Amino acid sequence: MIISKKSLNRRTILRGVGAGLALPLLDAMVPALTAMAATPASPVRRLGFVYIPMGATISAWTPSETGRLTKLSPTLNSLTPYLDQLTVISNLELKNAYSPGNHATANCSFLSAAKAKLTEGNDYQLATTVDQIAAQKIGKDSPLPSMELAMDLLTNIGSCDNGYACVYQNNLSWASPNNPLPAEAHPRLVFERLFGDGGSAAERRAELRKNASILDWVSSDIARLQGQLGAGDRAKVSEYLESVREVERRIAKAEKQTADSAQPDRDRPMGVPAAYGDHARLMFDLQVLALQSDTTRVLSFQLAREASTRVYPEAGVTDPHHPLTHHANDPEKMARVAQINAYHVSLFAYFLGKLKATREGNGNLLDNSLFLCGSGMGNPDAHDHSSLPIVVAGGAAGQLKGGRHIRYAQPTPLANLHLTLLDRVGVHLDSFADSQGKVSELLTPAAL
Amino acid sequence: MSAVRIVTLFFAGSLLALCQSPPTRGVVNRYCLSCHNERVKTADISLESSPESSPDVWEKVVRKLSHRHMPPVGLPRPDEAGYQAAISSLTDSLNRAAAARPNAGRPGTFRRLNRVEYHNAIRDLLAVDYNVNALLPNDETSHGFDNVTVANLSPILLERYLSAAQKISRLAIGSPVRTPASDVILAPPDLTQEDHLEGLPFGTRGGLLSNYTFPVTGQYELQVRLARDRNEHIEGLDIPHRVEVTLDGARVGLFTVTPPKSGTDHNEADNHLNVKLSVTAGPHQIGVAFPRKTSALLETQRQPYQAHFNMDRHPRVQPAIYAVSVLGPYDAAGPGDSPSRRRIFSCPTDDEACAAKILTNLLRRAYRRPVTSTDLAMPLKFYRTGRAEGSFDNGIEMALRALLVNPQFLFRIEKDPVGVKPKTAYRVTDVELASRLSFFLWSTIPDDTLLDLAARGKLREPVTLEQQVRRMLADPRADALVNNFAAQWLYLRNLATTNPDPRLFPDFDDNLRQAMQRETELLFASVLHEDRNVLDLLRADYTFLNERLARHYGIPNVYGSRFRRISLADGHRGGLLGQASILTVTSYATRTSPVIRGKWILSNILGVPPAAPPPAVPQLKDAGATVGGKLLSMRERVAEHRRNPACASCHNLMDPVGFAFENYDAIGRWHSHDSSLPIDASGMLPDGSKFADASELRQALLRRPDLFVATLTEKLLIYGLGRGIEPFDAPAVRQIVRGAQMKDYRFSSLILEIVKSTPFAMRNSL
Repeated sequence: MIISKKSLNRRTILRGVGAGLALPLLDAMVPALTAMAATPASPVRRLGFVYIPMGATISAWTPSETGRLTKLSPTLNSLTPYLDQLTVISNLELKNAYSPGNHATANCSFLSAAKAKLTEGNDYQLATTVDQIAAQKIGKDSPLPSMELAMDLLTNIGSCDNGYACVYQNNLSWASPNNPLPAEAHPRLVFERLFGDGGSAAERRAELRKNASILDWVSSDIARLQGQLGAGDRAKVSEYLESVREVERRIAKAEKQTADSAQPDRDRPMGVPAAYGDHARLMFDLQVLALQSDTTRVLSFQLAREASTRVYPEAGVTDPHHPLTHHANDPEKMARVAQINAYHVSLFAYFLGKLKATREGNGNLLDNSLFLCGSGMGNPDAHDHSSLPIVVAGGAAGQLKGGRHIRYAQPTPLANLHLTLLDRVGVHLDSFADSQGKVSELLTPAAL
Repeated sequence: MSAVRIVTLFFAGSLLALCQSPPTRGVVNRYCLSCHNERVKTADISLESSPESSPDVWEKVVRKLSHRHMPPVGLPRPDEAGYQAAISSLTDSLNRAAAARPNAGRPGTFRRLNRVEYHNAIRDLLAVDYNVNALLPNDETSHGFDNVTVANLSPILLERYLSAAQKISRLAIGSPVRTPASDVILAPPDLTQEDHLEGLPFGTRGGLLSNYTFPVTGQYELQVRLARDRNEHIEGLDIPHRVEVTLDGARVGLFTVTPPKSGTDHNEADNHLNVKLSVTAGPHQIGVAFPRKTSALLETQRQPYQAHFNMDRHPRVQPAIYAVSVLGPYDAAGPGDSPSRRRIFSCPTDDEACAAKILTNLLRRAYRRPVTSTDLAMPLKFYRTGRAEGSFDNGIEMALRALLVNPQFLFRIEKDPVGVKPKTAYRVTDVELASRLSFFLWSTIPDDTLLDLAARGKLREPVTLEQQVRRMLADPRADALVNNFAAQWLYLRNLATTNPDPRLFPDFDDNLRQAMQRETELLFASVLHEDRNVLDLLRADYTFLNERLARHYGIPNVYGSRFRRISLADGHRGGLLGQASILTVTSYATRTSPVIRGKWILSNILGVPPAAPPPAVPQLKDAGATVGGKLLSMRERVAEHRRNPACASCHNLMDPVGFAFENYDAIGRWHSHDSSLPIDASGMLPDGSKFADASELRQALLRRPDLFVATLTEKLLIYGLGRGIEPFDAPAVRQIVRGAQMKDYRFSSLILEIVKSTPFAMRNSL
């Protein structure tokens, strides 16, 4: 991605070290690729979820072919380069999302497929979401078990959907039925969470060495204590020493990473790009970095909040999104909703492109990953939760048979798909929420 | 004292106790033994043993008798004189046994500075006020305080300390900044900004005020952004408003924001609110506010809410500040003359001799003990490394950075002295005592006065110790007892995350939340600073209010954002128990909870916390629930709940206490009816004394001041020692309470007694 200096608001630039402001050079900024440990138990290394708010004009979304797919629909057209790693699934539904506050529950049921307790108080209750269940398995070895990202910076209190606490509308990921995970929308905070303060490779290396020498002193001082203490306290000291060694190991690993790759200065995002698209692409860039550096293996990303009234001038739509989705079947309005849908999909396509362009082993990042992109709402005019717009992308370590359109004759639970994805990352559950089986067609060779 | 003498004393005391204990034996045999004998052993307690052989059991007996919990109400009980005689003789023998063989307990050998202590230590060591909450994780709470489970040092925590040390040492030295940074200061989203906020210039409304440390002298940019609704529209921007930016109270920018034309991007409306200015290194105060308009009167048909932050229910009438970003430095002009540099560079030249002097100074305060040349060796080595790569400052920064991760800074370490017998109480050294005092009273490292006295071995001398304690209580650092101790003891910390249901309590906002917290802090601070009787915490006939809270309480004639002392006339308020802060944190988001309030009183005021509830407890019926068409009151709903015998044993103690506060709703407002039903606030204390309302409950509590003072003592001891209170601490607690009683329970007397007590002055060997 090249963001020209002009396209960015002053307050939003990624401020570089020099005057150059070559922005943002992000793919060059990551540490060298972590050697991929062979983990046969978890064939799919990464799982991600991208949320599109307020459903879609499904007629423009759904490809006309069923089974083998050669030509994508207008809305999905930007995904064409990744067609062989892409499956469109039609006629999925979220029965548990029907509620008096359909925007809140469209969001929170998307990854949980569960029914949200109707409350505006602190006694909210949902269920552990699919990404968090996956994170317990494939995220436990990475520095961050999962990352939750969003695009809306402001916290709203008490202005959410009809009797539902804002947590439902704001949080896609829930670590437990009453523990929603707040998503981060500020690029700099995401970046610092991933990589700390930044600086050039040489500067980073110097910092790491300083820390290593400080730790030398720490461990010698702790070890000196050991001789002066009773048996009970010596155990504590051993524990401290083990922590010091662990951090030393991480530092050594990080030092090796910076030594192995000649990198330009690492720019730190400073502000938030004013333009939505720039912000979204930057957030996707950061996700590529997170995966590439193996800092995390599980992602969720909300492209906008439900009921958002954002306008998308970049997509040629100046009507606020939410009112527009109440289109009363006006074809012109439906077309404009489709334009916004296509725009959101194109941002996802941008992400897939970056992943595909990032080498990993003999293939690329996309090959070993699975991503679900879609919405918890079907037809936004009716606030319904059937015929959900859903695509699955990625190589799934060679298991995803792409280039297909699975069209269910009967409405089928979205939870079937979640169950299938979990199965692929090595979490074998009998059921998930209201699931009735798996989407077996997704991964086995086509029986079509 | 020789071992032989101890043994002799022990036996003598024990025999004496047995001879003198007929009142106890008589009462126990008559009222207790039928349930608590070796055969029946109700609640697994037999009272056939002697107090000396099983003090833990008998300390429980003392507590049950003191609180008149036993024998249970309804069974035959001794008269008041019988109770007192039994308790007195029982405690006499327990105290004597304890005096003969003191058990001081054993705070952990390693106690990591928690987040508050770390922040304060950095502040006092380096004169840097750094927001460490952004760098370090939350501390876990145990025994009600977050300085108890602090022996851990996980890899992630160590990484955070490394990162914090890097950032803090750079900031303290004023090292050149590699790249300009940006910090975003957010206003609380539920802060109403229609009226003046305390600390901001008069004649303004709303805004935010923030202390910010600028790393170096140079050019900075302040960017202001206004609050938006969920449509990304600036709230309340119907007519032009002015925005004023101040630095240290002086105006540095004045802008006008005008409503965007219909359909245009709201970004245009506030993207000019940028101030470029040069700032000197060090702490400054950034303020942003709106010059008040003359005609901001709100006219609605109904009584207007005071809260304005919610676009759907009570929208902002005028624009509000969302955030201020600080960007920079640009054109950095060096480290300047900041307070931190003045604190650190205690020697004028830039040679190694000076470095050694600077580092010796820092080490002494960071390690909280006299330092030797051995201690200096490694820091000097780090200095040389840094110096070789850059300037003198760079060398000091490197040594400081290493120092801030050293376990001798991060941990308070108390080692058993060489040669001490196992499981024996010994006096802690003067140096250890200095740290115990400063972390107890100040939540930070000792200052030079304390360290000097400790180094000369004078701190433990009673006269010196008392002088020092009084000096420390008069020092501003003693506010830690308010902000750290009281905030945890009284659950005030929960207020920040308490969000009453906005539909039921539309008038709750951050302004009210802050005012509630402030009232409680100011009451506690008045007892501390005016050295009042600690019972004033329960019975004060004054409180501290600003307009917002006074209106919440229905108290007239209090105007403005400033807090002031108010005398209270009616019995509705006064003392902690009538304060909205405590009434709110002991309520649910939607309703009051007599159970939580009762439990709060039992745990935090009376010191007899009920047992934890069994799993799978059914929920209370919702408000509006009916039985046979009849609306149930809160009392009836709770009674329903109590019908389960497993629940009743504890709820029979908690609920009747909590009912006293039913006149206060879930955000502490006084009301006489609940869901159209008149409120019955009568209840009963576990000792069987009845009361008609909160005021009478207060009187009942005050009739037994020793119980409240003992509870406060125990809480202070947990906090001061960093460990839970054990039965063997009971004699010390009794002695502290007795000592304080002679001095009218003055706050200082309580602290002085604690500081002299066995658990505080001593420690048991392993």
